[in-house]
Amino acid sequence: MDPDAVAKAFVGHYYQTFDSNRAALVGLYQDTSMLTFEGEKFQGTAAIAGKLGSLPFQHCEHQIVTVDCQPSGPQGGMLVFVSGSIRTGPEEHPIKFSQVCTPRPASIRFLAAPPSRSRSPRRSQA
Amino acid sequence: MDGQGQPGSGSGGAGSDCDAVARAFVEYYYNTFDANRGALAALYGHTSMLSFEGHAVGGAEEIGRKLAQLPFDQGRHSICTVDCQPSPSLPGSILVFVSGNLQLAGEEHQLRFSQMFQLVPNEQGSFFVQNDIFRLNYG
Repeated sequence: MDPDAVAKAFVGHYYQTFDSNRAALVGLYQDTSMLTFEGEKFQGTAAIAGKLGSLPFQHCEHQIVTVDCQPSGPQGGMLVFVSGSIRTGPEEHPIKFSQVCTPRPASIRFLAAPPSRSRSPRRSQA
Repeated sequence: MDGQGQPGSGSGGAGSDCDAVARAFVEYYYNTFDANRGALAALYGHTSMLSFEGHAVGGAEEIGRKLAQLPFDQGRHSICTVDCQPSPSLPGSILVFVSGNLQLAGEEHQLRFSQMFQLVPNEQGSFFVQNDIFRLNYG
């Protein structure tokens, strides 16, 4: 499967899950996973779930502007670099963000089943 | 696959080693970029990859050429944030995530950018840049 397609599928799934069912995001992490969120470090599913569940907004909408990916090494896996914006309420200004993820083969297999509905990354607003 | 040199829970020790390497690398990288861009190619190897604003090149020679051909002669990077994590890909490798500003000579406004690196240990006890992704942040 084309790595760029895999990266875009992963990014689409990640932010769709973030926006619609944030508690389910923890299923993409393992106990060796690490999250650094605005400079704070968290390791393992419990700590990561705790951080994602305690963000100071209930609803959010991500708009993805760019997705770059590169293979990360001989054992598979990839580096995915995302930029976009997040809006945490209809009256709120969107905040720009960048994020780096390292999906590993287990996470990629998670996405390999044909989706019942395909979603492409949202186009950015002008 | 799991574990490969990853620290166990409570990775304070490995985390702080990674922080020191990341900060030293970032300082060296951007000082070199601004003062002597041609020397940057020595940080890359034949398996290295650079994606610069969506354009991908591979290998130290191509990367050096890409950096030399950027449409500005002089710039000054100022770094706002540096984050790092041990990389899951290879033992001893490090992911570095940088955000900052780039002031180009003759331009009134700074450009905001984000950049990520994967640093991999080399035989000399230092690191080379295996992966490099750069994006300007517009708006």
